[in-house]
Amino acid sequence: MTRGLGLFLILLLAASHAFADAPVRFASVAVFIDSTEPLAAWQLDFSASGGGMQVVGVENGDSIAFHGVPYYDREAVDQGRADRIVVADYSLAEPSELPHGRVRVTTLHVMLSGEETPQFDTRLVVASSPDGNRIDAEISIEVSEGSEQ
Amino acid sequence: MIEGKFSLRYLLTACTAITVIAAGCASESMMGSEQGRGSQSGAADDLPLEEIVVAGSGNENRGRANEPQPYGAMAPAARAHYRAKQVGENLPYASDEEIWVVQKADTASVADIDDEPGSGAMVTIVDSKEVPLPLRHTDVKAQINGYISSVNVRQEFSNPFDSKIEAVYMFPLPEKAAVTEFLMVIGDRKIRGILREKEEAEAIYRAARSQGYQASLLVQHRPDIFEQKVANIEPGKAIDVDIRYFHTLAYNDGWYSFVFPTVVGPRYNPPGHGDPIQALPRTDTSSSGAAVRYLRPDERSAHDISIDVQIDAGVRIEEVRSTHKIAASRPEENIATVQLENGATIPNRDFVLDFRVAGETMKSDLLTYVDPDTQQGYFTLMLYPPEVADDLARQDMEMVFVVDTSGSMRGRPLEQAKEALSAALDHLQEGDTFQIIRFSDNASQFGRSPVPATKHNIGLARQYIANLGGNGGTRMIEGIRAALDFPHDRSRLRFVSFMTDGYIGNEAEILGEMQSRIGASRIFSFGVGSSVNRYLMERMAKVGRGAVAYLTPEESGYEVMDGFFRRISHPALTDLHIDWNGMAVSDVYPSVLPDVFVGRPIVVTGKFLGPSNGVVVHGLQGSVDHRVVIENSSDDGGAASLPKIWARMRIADLADQRAVTGDPYEELANEIRATALEYKLMSDYTSFVAVDTSQRTDGEFGTTVHQAVPVPDGVRYDTTVEQN
Repeated sequence: MTRGLGLFLILLLAASHAFADAPVRFASVAVFIDSTEPLAAWQLDFSASGGGMQVVGVENGDSIAFHGVPYYDREAVDQGRADRIVVADYSLAEPSELPHGRVRVTTLHVMLSGEETPQFDTRLVVASSPDGNRIDAEISIEVSEGSEQ
Repeated sequence: MIEGKFSLRYLLTACTAITVIAAGCASESMMGSEQGRGSQSGAADDLPLEEIVVAGSGNENRGRANEPQPYGAMAPAARAHYRAKQVGENLPYASDEEIWVVQKADTASVADIDDEPGSGAMVTIVDSKEVPLPLRHTDVKAQINGYISSVNVRQEFSNPFDSKIEAVYMFPLPEKAAVTEFLMVIGDRKIRGILREKEEAEAIYRAARSQGYQASLLVQHRPDIFEQKVANIEPGKAIDVDIRYFHTLAYNDGWYSFVFPTVVGPRYNPPGHGDPIQALPRTDTSSSGAAVRYLRPDERSAHDISIDVQIDAGVRIEEVRSTHKIAASRPEENIATVQLENGATIPNRDFVLDFRVAGETMKSDLLTYVDPDTQQGYFTLMLYPPEVADDLARQDMEMVFVVDTSGSMRGRPLEQAKEALSAALDHLQEGDTFQIIRFSDNASQFGRSPVPATKHNIGLARQYIANLGGNGGTRMIEGIRAALDFPHDRSRLRFVSFMTDGYIGNEAEILGEMQSRIGASRIFSFGVGSSVNRYLMERMAKVGRGAVAYLTPEESGYEVMDGFFRRISHPALTDLHIDWNGMAVSDVYPSVLPDVFVGRPIVVTGKFLGPSNGVVVHGLQGSVDHRVVIENSSDDGGAASLPKIWARMRIADLADQRAVTGDPYEELANEIRATALEYKLMSDYTSFVAVDTSQRTDGEFGTTVHQAVPVPDGVRYDTTVEQN
């Protein structure tokens, strides 16, 4: 049993070492929310399957109503092969200043590893109006790998 | 599970909370050499005069023999020849980015080898000796609520060269800073950095850099020394980095102190030390390890600093003072706005801002915060010292004064230390004994053992002090052994006071040595100079169950020593224990409660569950029981930061244990790592990394340019950087 455990650990180390040395590439994932009502707060869940993915930055969106940079839930960032991250932001701006329609709320910067391009899963947990009520909205992403200038 | 934990209501609460946080000669051993001299002199109770002559004049002779020449006199024939060349018109501007125009000035071109910042040939300027470097400005904005300060630091990097660079900058932050946020700012775009395990973050950064992506990495080398790297800054362009941290303010003798350090002092690393912070000349690119590069005395960079501090004390502010020229306004009696004046923007010394609040309103305080999601409670207890009875008898003392006479102390710092030593002698009383120990490359001492505080001995001690000179390295461990390795006189209280700038790179070794030898001694650290190693000073005092004091260049050694003796003559409260009054308390730090000294409150933090109804602190004043009833605070300003304050103190406590045990199985390191990740804090094991993946810059990553800094005000380049 000890021998089995040792073999497992060796394989695990070899796998992790191989992963560490594997060539990596970077991509940006622009996240859009499309709502018919003013968007005051949102929260999304972003993950990947079928390939290694690590989030390496969370960027601000296009709406000036959201002055800062979205926050992320660190507890959701795995230490393993693929991250899962929860990102959210809110605005206290006047309803008239809030975005509606399709707006880029954030861009997630990611590092990819492995042969395969992972499948990204983006899920809108909640979008809300200025009075705190849930609103209907759709979420979409646009993925682009860094281009040369 | 994540959805459940991250409800919208919680999201808003958490975001609001974050906003609130925002809102080291001779190689002979000391004992051997001194014992030898002692036996030759045949002295009995008093100090042998030969001892003074040998120790004092010898030290001076060594100092003269090794006296380095001023820079100008020893400069090599091939000394740098600068060429000024403006190449502004040739900069490759992005036509649609007018913001880059701001960075157009002072672009440098190829120059002489002495000015190479990295492996590439670039640099220049100038007759005025201004060296073009990537860090142009540091902007500090601080908000103080009560005794909690949140600080945003913006570092503005740009590329003044004609090819792509990686900027590397070693800089200090307060030793208690809990770094929680990191943003990379490129024009209007802001990219929040991700906190990861250190090795993981470094690997991500290296990959991004090698592939041409703009990226930044923030690494902690010591609790108060950080390294910023910014990769792939294109010619003429800029990248800013925002760092946010908070910390609790020190309170001494009625004054709260906000400190922003601006430069890391040149550290001495004893031979064989495995984790050094090297002090190198600007042009030395031989080392790839953690190193601070220094400008020569006749050089300067364009880097300047602005500091704005908003103080909301919660009670009336009676007085504001600073080490720098400041402009202060008082819109309300409990509010003050302070700005650094234009003439005081050279970042070569600690910025210290003190404010005194109404004395009658100072009372002990229990601040609590309950996490709305987990119901986990956190508390911070600030215990102010109670009044000390005037008739309390002063116990006889065994005073050991340890003074750093290394090269970095030469000049004003050593004069101040000598001033303080002389003042200390004035405070000795009949019945006291004392010893004076000096250390640099080695250690020597005034007497073979502590001598009685007679007029004769005090007079001899003054001669000994007068003959002290500064030169050599800072082998502090020699001073610690000399100060702590002799039998304790149980009839007296032993106080050991270290006077040093703390410019060493082996802090953990020092603290471990101190902890293993301390015995019954109480240690007081006196930081002397304009940019002291405050982390070392604070930890020495904590390990030694004493207190810390600082002597900035403007301050009088006499006054500081007066306060020291007032403090130790009558400890306000000893042998503390706390009645938690039903609170289910856990993970309390510091794990060993210190004594409370006059003028110095203590801060205790921990976790709790259930209700909080105030606490009662019990202790002794002399031999008399004393109790302090502390109620819950009515002001929750800054309470949302308590989890991070708790986590920061836990990490510091674990690091102290690690220094003593060596942590052979890395258990403590793992605990530190886990705590840092859970509470999103920078640590020795966690780092922030941010990558802009939207665009790759042309070509391979450029030359690495180390941001050189001036040596601290009052510190000599020749006796520190050049002799290292």
